[in-house]
Amino acid sequence: MTGLDWGQFLAIGVVTVVVAPLLGRYLAATFRGGPAPGDRVFLPVERLAYRFTGIDPDSSQTWKGYAIAVVAFGAVSTLFLYAVLLLQGVLPFNPTHAPGMSPALSFNTAVSFVTGTDWQAYSGETQASYLAQMAGLVVAQFTAAAVGISVALAVIRGISGRARTIGNFWADLTRSLVRVFVPLSVIAALVLVSQGAVQNFSGFRTATTVAGGTQHIPGGPVASMEVIKLLGTNGGSFYGAGGAHPFENPTGFTNMFDLLLVIVLPFAIALMFGRLIGNRRQGRAIAAVMAILFVGLTLISMQAEAHGNQLLPTRVSQLASSHNIGGSMEGKESRFGPGGSALMTVGTMGTTAGATDSSLDSYTPIGGAGAFVAILLGEVSPGGDGGGLYSILVLALLAVFLAGLMVGRTPEFLGKKIRASQMKLIIAYVLALPITILVLGSLSLVMAVGTRSILNPGMHGLTEVTYAFASSAQNNGSAFAGLSANTPWYNTMLGLTMLIGRFVPIVLALAIAGSLAGARVHARTRATLDTTGPTFVAFLLGVILIMGGLIYLPMLILGPIGERIVG
Amino acid sequence: MRRQLVTSIVMLLGLTVVLGFGYPLVVAGLAAVGFDHQANGSLVYRGGKLVGSSLLGQSFTDSSGNPLPRYFQPRPSAAGAGYDASASGASNLGPSNPLLIGFVPGVNTVGLNGRPSATNPFATKADPACVPTNPKGSPVTSPAPGQRYERGPNGSYVCDPDTVPERAIDYRQFNGLGAGAPVPIDAVTASGSGLDPGISIDNALDQATRVARVRHLSGGQVVDLVNRYTQGRQLGFLGEPTVNVLELNLALDRLR
Repeated sequence: MTGLDWGQFLAIGVVTVVVAPLLGRYLAATFRGGPAPGDRVFLPVERLAYRFTGIDPDSSQTWKGYAIAVVAFGAVSTLFLYAVLLLQGVLPFNPTHAPGMSPALSFNTAVSFVTGTDWQAYSGETQASYLAQMAGLVVAQFTAAAVGISVALAVIRGISGRARTIGNFWADLTRSLVRVFVPLSVIAALVLVSQGAVQNFSGFRTATTVAGGTQHIPGGPVASMEVIKLLGTNGGSFYGAGGAHPFENPTGFTNMFDLLLVIVLPFAIALMFGRLIGNRRQGRAIAAVMAILFVGLTLISMQAEAHGNQLLPTRVSQLASSHNIGGSMEGKESRFGPGGSALMTVGTMGTTAGATDSSLDSYTPIGGAGAFVAILLGEVSPGGDGGGLYSILVLALLAVFLAGLMVGRTPEFLGKKIRASQMKLIIAYVLALPITILVLGSLSLVMAVGTRSILNPGMHGLTEVTYAFASSAQNNGSAFAGLSANTPWYNTMLGLTMLIGRFVPIVLALAIAGSLAGARVHARTRATLDTTGPTFVAFLLGVILIMGGLIYLPMLILGPIGERIVG
Repeated sequence: MRRQLVTSIVMLLGLTVVLGFGYPLVVAGLAAVGFDHQANGSLVYRGGKLVGSSLLGQSFTDSSGNPLPRYFQPRPSAAGAGYDASASGASNLGPSNPLLIGFVPGVNTVGLNGRPSATNPFATKADPACVPTNPKGSPVTSPAPGQRYERGPNGSYVCDPDTVPERAIDYRQFNGLGAGAPVPIDAVTASGSGLDPGISIDNALDQATRVARVRHLSGGQVVDLVNRYTQGRQLGFLGEPTVNVLELNLALDRLR
């Protein structure tokens, strides 16, 4: 890594440390109930929305009511998007003449965007109409992010509050869209356009190149999608090349701005959690665990990519200098370089965005492993908008339980006792996704319909498949993109994986919250385990790493670790 | 449940109107006021005709696909047949794939019999990592008994031209560099988008001599232009310095 790579890394760190607490304070004020900043502008909009939809924002739901609303909204959104994608060929606003998607691809894509995964088995330039991108995919990206925050709010109310109900899903959804996502998106989109991201409706423009050839220059409402792709930790791009495309991510500045858009909200939500429960140290402890994982994984990958591909001949110069970019440059843009690419790509992997600015499939084994591990650890570094928080809270409950076993006390979190009924749900939460990933991934590796799609030979090919299932289950959506995933098998299986990966954890997290809602809050005594100090931070980190290691180490050894040792 | 479904439908319809149409239109409107050039794709015109976008790379090849020596050449591209802006994308070749790095003995090398091999039986004098091609010109990465190979005039194997070692050989030859000259990594690898508009400064300087010779310009004149079209790091530390190939080539054409 060059000094300038460190500079970019530190700059992102400093800006996040400054902005996330401010945003966390704003979020806490917004979602605490009662008067909130910007009421004068936002309240009338919200009242209009409530009147239009017939929602009573003050009626609080039980966890079951909340979960039913989330699932119902997900089902309706998926069906609607499915229909739009299937029929886009005959619908208006289609200047690029994209034909309707096949049923399997429509299913996969609809599920993918509604769950916030944004796995893309299609290529945006030619396979998605402007209507589908704007009115279908972008709307799903907004709602996926808002649903994530809403569920996190419900979980916070359940595990810390004294009421038996956990809030109103429709009010949470509306509020997070009106007061967080829409205003931030408009501002950030203009920043991107000022740097060169496109925002037009003109379809392809035909240019006669300098050498006399033709080039079809794409257009589209790109910046507006790019922003919510990042801010909503979604990851679905307008164009096939995603964040590597110069019309989405034009400069070194936008590359870092994009990363900031992805990670700042999840960190802010962790800090908001601390404020909402009236214990800011607790929020900081959770954010610290997220930050340590983020820093570790990102630095490992940056280092590996800056070092370059050791299998290339030495007279191909991978040594960085003031005139040479150096490093592992296959699949990377010259304006970002290997350090900036790995920082952005692996940085966003710890959220559920998976918004790559380079081809992960061409990363060095260890560089790619950094991205893979960020997903496998359960997307908590810092995780998706809301999803990162409820995932890490479940792991914190598990950590409290383990710590309780060690010292022989009834485990408690935020003053509430963790009992067998909660532990069953927590174990189901922790095991649901690994089982899905390993079973469906293994099936794909022993069946011809699965192995036919692999591009790269050997251990790398195994990683292409297992990564696809891990990425889908954790709603990340990035890919080792050599895998030809637009087949009936992968469209269907990955679609199912995404559905399981989204709704099973949400329902279980709400159930855990529901079972703790209204439970008695015990006063702190000297014997209460402190969950805000460095000891707990270290312990929670250990639990996350050991859980991930026990479940996935064999798969990693057969994949990237083996590739590194043999290579 | 039924009530939640009805609310879902009404909510989704409302959001589709507001976020699906209102939001992109508002952004487009504001963008058109402040940043019309960027919002439309940073288009570049010459003599009133659209020649490309300063943010997108393009090919500088003749009609049969050979690079034109009078122009600076961009990086290799995996977008369609090369710099196809309707098919952006990367090669996705893994770091040990023979199609990228060639046959490296002990790593990915397969012998004539189809078994892993400690030496590369297809090695040529110029390229020890040579991946052979079949008579149709496609690379053969899993050799097997009975496989037929393309041979050159002197009987040696004809190598897949798209591996990094082969691209390095071509780059040295095209630019008149010595056999041992270091080749900048960006010149022999494909970018993530396949539309990378930039190259490294080393890559541009390596090419400057050739361009000057073909255009009968002094080396200093061309290097001056390279410097002028070098985009430094933003704020001094964001991203990498690159040379914009399209802008540089347009400026070269304007010289005469």
